[in-house]
Amino acid sequence: MLKARHPLAIVFFPAYDWAISPTHPERQERLLYTQDQLREEGVFDIAGITELKPELATATDVLRAHFCFPDVAAVTTTSHLISAGGAIRAARTVLDKEAKRAFALVRPPGHHAMKVVHGARGFCNINIEAVMLEWLRDQYGPLRAAIVDTDCHHGDGTQDIYWNDPDTLFISLHQDGRTLYPGTGFPLELGGPKALGTTVNVPLPPGTSDEGFLFAMREVVMPLIEDFKPDIIINSAGQDNHFSDPITDMAFSAQGYARLTEMLGADIAVLEGGYSIQGALPYVNLGLVLSMAGLDYSHVREPDFDAAKVRQSAKVTGYIEDVCRDILKEARHPRGPGKGDVVAGWFTRRKTLYYDTDAITEYQTEAVRLCDHCRGVVKYETESTRTPLCLGVEAPIGACEKCVEEAYRIYEAGQIKGEYRHLQLIDRVGKNYATYTG
Amino acid sequence: MLCGIDVGGTHTDAVLIGPDGVVACAKLPTNHDDLLASIREALASIAAVAGPAAVTRLTLSTTLTTNAIIEGTADPVGVLVSGGPGIDPAAYAMGAYYHVLAGAIDHRGRQTGALDLDAARAVINAWEAAGVRAFAAVTKFSTRCPDQELALEALLAGRCDCVSLGHAFSGRLGFGRRIATACLNSAVWRVYNRFCDAVERSAAELGMAGASINVLKADGGTMPLSVSRTLPVQSILSGPAASVMGIIAVCDIAEDSIILDIGGTTTDIAVFAAGAPLIENEGIAIAGRPTLVRALRTRSIGVGGDSAITVSREAIQVGPRRLGPPMALGGPVPTLVDALNIQNVIAVGDPRASYQGILAVATANGFEPEEVAEAAILNAVNQIRSEVAAFVREINDRPVYTIFELLEGRQVRPTRVYVMGGPALALSALLQDAFTQEVVVPESFAVANAIGAALARPTFSVELFADTASGRLTIPSLGITRQVADNYSQAAAEGEAATSLRHYLASIGAEAEDAPIETVELSSFPMVEGQTLVGHNIRVACQVRPGVSAAYKQAVSKSC
Ligand SMILES: [Zn+2]
Ligand SMILES: [Zn+2]
Ligand SMILES: [Zn+2]
Repeated sequence: MLKARHPLAIVFFPAYDWAISPTHPERQERLLYTQDQLREEGVFDIAGITELKPELATATDVLRAHFCFPDVAAVTTTSHLISAGGAIRAARTVLDKEAKRAFALVRPPGHHAMKVVHGARGFCNINIEAVMLEWLRDQYGPLRAAIVDTDCHHGDGTQDIYWNDPDTLFISLHQDGRTLYPGTGFPLELGGPKALGTTVNVPLPPGTSDEGFLFAMREVVMPLIEDFKPDIIINSAGQDNHFSDPITDMAFSAQGYARLTEMLGADIAVLEGGYSIQGALPYVNLGLVLSMAGLDYSHVREPDFDAAKVRQSAKVTGYIEDVCRDILKEARHPRGPGKGDVVAGWFTRRKTLYYDTDAITEYQTEAVRLCDHCRGVVKYETESTRTPLCLGVEAPIGACEKCVEEAYRIYEAGQIKGEYRHLQLIDRVGKNYATYTG
Repeated sequence: MLCGIDVGGTHTDAVLIGPDGVVACAKLPTNHDDLLASIREALASIAAVAGPAAVTRLTLSTTLTTNAIIEGTADPVGVLVSGGPGIDPAAYAMGAYYHVLAGAIDHRGRQTGALDLDAARAVINAWEAAGVRAFAAVTKFSTRCPDQELALEALLAGRCDCVSLGHAFSGRLGFGRRIATACLNSAVWRVYNRFCDAVERSAAELGMAGASINVLKADGGTMPLSVSRTLPVQSILSGPAASVMGIIAVCDIAEDSIILDIGGTTTDIAVFAAGAPLIENEGIAIAGRPTLVRALRTRSIGVGGDSAITVSREAIQVGPRRLGPPMALGGPVPTLVDALNIQNVIAVGDPRASYQGILAVATANGFEPEEVAEAAILNAVNQIRSEVAAFVREINDRPVYTIFELLEGRQVRPTRVYVMGGPALALSALLQDAFTQEVVVPESFAVANAIGAALARPTFSVELFADTASGRLTIPSLGITRQVADNYSQAAAEGEAATSLRHYLASIGAEAEDAPIETVELSSFPMVEGQTLVGHNIRVACQVRPGVSAAYKQAVSKSC
């Protein structure tokens, strides 16, 4: 009988009674065939593989990672709290050493959800990896974490949340933003002034197949992880790079995903996108599970897989080699923060964000205090076509006394001024999460 | 009248029950090498009291197939499988005759790789020449499309004694379980059928030709002997089910409860939800191999009357090993029974031997013998309590797949603990201290397991799978595969599953009123391609839950 070399916990929650709309890619059917495949393969009978039930993330768990306007209840549903809770359950199992690794095979996904949430973007409301990681840091103390996003879409939400966090290395591999939603994730997006080089983007051209992905992993992702020395590696395991995915243009295979997974050796994987629910997900997820558990995955392939038919062109190979070389150089020696202005000791960015799923437009100013003693307090002034001007202030983990004071001063002054409809404070030092409606 | 015979490892128990209660019962030592002799003897002693004509239904629970599998005396089986993409089927190899053929079926039941029939023919020829007479044919996802298994069956026609097809056992998924189930079924086929012949002959010789003969299964239900001839694997591991069905018959269990059966080497734990025993999600494992054979959900720990006591300065522990009988009965090391003996809770054998034994291990570690005895008893009770708690937690923590179930799913909250077995009464006061639930010790009934066998009802389950996009419907365990219209609905599917199950039960002679059918799974997924709804993926599971004949239950019920 089979025995996992790395004991693996799988939190499987297909949310069979939840859909964005009946024919939306995020619908009841999405993980049905994956479950069929895993059960038929007897994955849960393998010694060392256990199936766990998700828990429900709380509003506080969400407020630790996000500014939600008008409030948590308005921008989440139970399904989002279960999905995030599934990721939390997976992570807890690893940190408590009940399993070596864990895979949260849950939906809906989260990597397009940014720090400020007004609604749903790219099928995501809350960032389940961020809710999970901040829960981990709250429970187990400061952790250096690497998040590697292998979804086909740029993980713009995760990037936004960790933009100013030097203790989180965020690397996204994705189809070039010039050819796919959300249209971001270029090599010069490298993080905020206090976290330069801990955001890394590897845009890959349409048609990239196993060779290209594994090249980028070997030449960029793994060396940067080695430099960073994380305590924990998290994989945002989107599966829409698959050659059969209906909404993307890449040529990755189940074998390729399994090999990438083996190379990365993530402690925790969290499912993100992936909408070829019959032709890809059953095989990709099986490959991921076997690879994470340290089992033979060499027989896992799509029934119609023909490597020669999907293999990337020589031109694509050459392009990827050039891009990867440049990216590694930029990430190791960033040339200074990108777009933004320094105003009275604060580094300020202005963003206009579109929530495609909910058709909301948000206008936001993010400002981080340039502090010599810590990462600096961060504040967000934001309004959207749905909600009037709101304020979010965060004293991050490790904030100095001055920055914590500053966070409270801004939050209280904002209440008195009366120009904000909703205000939210995140104090990671004092573990205080407050909201106020003016 | 109903007759039940439970052939256990040590004893063979028999009972005859009439409308007014137990008419006759017998307890005989089991002849391990000749189970039929034990059954004949038990039947003869029943016939001697009530006359052979009195028996209208006979139900057997035997260890025949279990022993053959565990002791490796079953026949070699030629196992033909096709796997397609996924885990290497070599991982599920069984025996010396196991061959993986090219061929593949996907999760929707589409053939994505042709079965290599030429290779199959060559393998069958070679195995036939080697003297293999029993075969199994199993393909991945054969529950969604049995065609490749049926093609292999056709190749084998007339060339062997039996062919077990994977999809015939269950509609549940699990390729490795399906392989093990089909293979074991063929392995015990010959020995089981010979046994059935002999049982029928014996019944006729004893003048019981009019009695219907049934066999107890691990899920606490019965099946007619004639049906069991093609599904002998369904008769494995029925022993614990006999005991559990016995307590259902004797006690009126209506709420969530725990059943503890404290034996010589183990304590067996079963859980009841609203008075019905819980069934294993997937199937029971035998000889280390998980199967698709349905079974009651039970758990066993190595704490029993004969469990050895180990003493160190740090800890005093009971079990999990049994190294012989208690010292009071001439055993080599002190056991739980010896501890109970010196605390005057029971009086078994020679209490002085118990005392000497415990005194020796106590002195060696700087304890008083009473201290050791007390700590050992407490340890046994605590182990049982924490195992029960873990079991209930595991049941309540089972994965669910809908938001509704996650938020509203029923939780099992036992309110009573029923304790049976030798040390039951002795431990009841301590168990009452350990459990917050009410502890009940049913009046001792030496042949409760035989009563369980006698009164058990037939059980069966069907899984229906309909894919209206591809126009296919299967009910694997009934061998049904048919076309289905694109307007086929979830309600129609539920109706068809229940009707098919009812017809099957009628065809094997089960009384309908005795066998309420319940739907345990019902789902319908809209299937979308592009932006278009192309059909529905419908899954239904119906079952007849284990239970006892209502008409006779009254006759044996006691106040518990
Ligand atoms: Zn990505
Ligand atoms: Zn995506
Ligand atoms: Zn500071």
